[in-house]
Amino acid sequence: MRRARVGALAARIVRGFRRDPRTLALLVIVPLVVMALIGYMLSDDREPLRVAVANGESNETCGAIVSDTGTFRDALAQQPGIEVVEVTTCDEGIAKIETGDLEGIVEYPVIEQRNPIATTRVIVAGTDPRIEEPIVRAATYALAAARGSPLEAGEIANVTVDRVDVPDGERPSTITYSAPALITVFAFLFTFMLTSVAFLRERSSGTLERLLASPITRAEILSGYLFGFLGFAAIQALLVLAYSTLVLHARIEGALWLVLLVIAILVIGCVNLGITLSFFARNELQVIQFIPLVLLPQVFLGGLFWPTVTLWPPLQWLSALFPVTHAVSALREVMIAGGGFADVARDLAALLAFALAMVALGVWVLRGQRA
Amino acid sequence: MIATDLAIRSSELARSFGDVHALDGFDLEVRTGEILGLVGPNGAGKTTFVRVIAGLLAPDDGDVEVFGRRPGRATASDVGYMTQAAALYEDLSLRENLGFFGRVYGLPRARVIERIAELAALVHLEGDEDRPVRTLSGGQRQLANLSCAMVHEPTLLLLDEPTVGIDPVLRRSLWERFATLRDAGTTILVTTHVMEEATRCDRVAFVNAGEVLTVGTPDEVGAPGEGSIEDAFLAFRDGRAEPS
Repeated sequence: MRRARVGALAARIVRGFRRDPRTLALLVIVPLVVMALIGYMLSDDREPLRVAVANGESNETCGAIVSDTGTFRDALAQQPGIEVVEVTTCDEGIAKIETGDLEGIVEYPVIEQRNPIATTRVIVAGTDPRIEEPIVRAATYALAAARGSPLEAGEIANVTVDRVDVPDGERPSTITYSAPALITVFAFLFTFMLTSVAFLRERSSGTLERLLASPITRAEILSGYLFGFLGFAAIQALLVLAYSTLVLHARIEGALWLVLLVIAILVIGCVNLGITLSFFARNELQVIQFIPLVLLPQVFLGGLFWPTVTLWPPLQWLSALFPVTHAVSALREVMIAGGGFADVARDLAALLAFALAMVALGVWVLRGQRA
Repeated sequence: MIATDLAIRSSELARSFGDVHALDGFDLEVRTGEILGLVGPNGAGKTTFVRVIAGLLAPDDGDVEVFGRRPGRATASDVGYMTQAAALYEDLSLRENLGFFGRVYGLPRARVIERIAELAALVHLEGDEDRPVRTLSGGQRQLANLSCAMVHEPTLLLLDEPTVGIDPVLRRSLWERFATLRDAGTTILVTTHVMEEATRCDRVAFVNAGEVLTVGTPDEVGAPGEGSIEDAFLAFRDGRAEPS
């Protein structure tokens, strides 16, 4: 091995990077963005889950709320990651859980059930175990703190959980819970990556120029790309769905067409996002560098691993702009909670708004390519 | 197409890219049914002019017309554009490329099938129609590129350095085909910096630094150089010869 040759090759690579400020910038920006996100996600500096307290003594079906629960309420409020909020009736609390304005209700058990075995009831939506688990844990510790004695072995098991959004009330399995996120990420990544690379090739090979010199309109180009990729994205989504349900036994409570509709609208946005970003890349290497920058913030902030309600409010607003957030939310509503069109209308509207914005951007970047 | 004697008319055409004046008062008229060669060194503005005519670039200043209309979507069906590099879908065959571009130009399916046969014969690629373009040689790709520019039977053919990478035998054959197309009424604007090719054009325009130095038949523009057309170009470029 000749040192001079190895050195010349290494120096050539360094020189290439120096002449490519975009790659250098991405080399710095991507790890910083990702580390900042991971650091924040792993910290305890998170927004608390909003929980109301119901008095189990007054009504077994959770009718009245918050009377004579001062000690328990205070103990619950002191649990990390929990904020006790006031609601007037339990029904109001359940309605708020369904609209996402409240994460849970914890029932303070009747006196005879407080000791020796703590039995309490927690009411949650049930579609997100990462919301359910901290509330159940906090309720258990608050119960022990309220009665003034530490938890006995097995006491955790005596917390019953009512999942108001899950049709059979069963805790969704990990795969049932993960399937919507998997489908979304596959659809997003596949469509975004392939469209951006395909369009970059269209540009670099000169075929885009030839197309633009023909009578084809910009809308026709964008639509052609969309329909070309839509079928593949739908097949991929069906494959993930089929594998999740048939092999991994994930459940789909809602309608399959609604699942496909969510994916279709997501794909419209992704195709146009890919086309738009491909214009900011000179080569395939630069397109690949866009992937972590575009995908990772959505994965971290889109509610795939951590509930969006626990994000710092400005990050929640940012998360609300991401298509992945709305696709995952809508698919969980359909697949886990069995929600219908009306239940996912807001997420669909947000996805549609993203898609339209991306179509407008796609038309705009193509406009610059033709006289 | 609107009936007119001029296929292209440009007057005081200007187009800059940053500080670079690619076209700087570019005046040129191309008559219907002629082969006009734009001759000049790299960076003279030949490709920029062709891209303006193809409707891909808007001029900053000046007037330009293709068959009496502004270049753009309105003229797109009349114009066939052969780019410098082979602009083809490499994974598709010649037949599929021709089929695709034929459909883009709105040709009926039956006509597309006819054109594939006609063009494969014209560019000597009969028997290779179903090979993926990436398996064709450099010269064959250029021929395939040319055939895709002609799929919709344009009345104006823009050829940007069409013979780059093509061997002399095939080059001669291609020029014979250009002449056949011209005889059938097609107007051809061809860019080249190969001076030998310029002599095959009906008229030649010497282009340098974004402007047209002179236009005439090869004999007319060749006269001041007292020798080859290459000498003539250098004489015009260096100001030793006056425009006709």
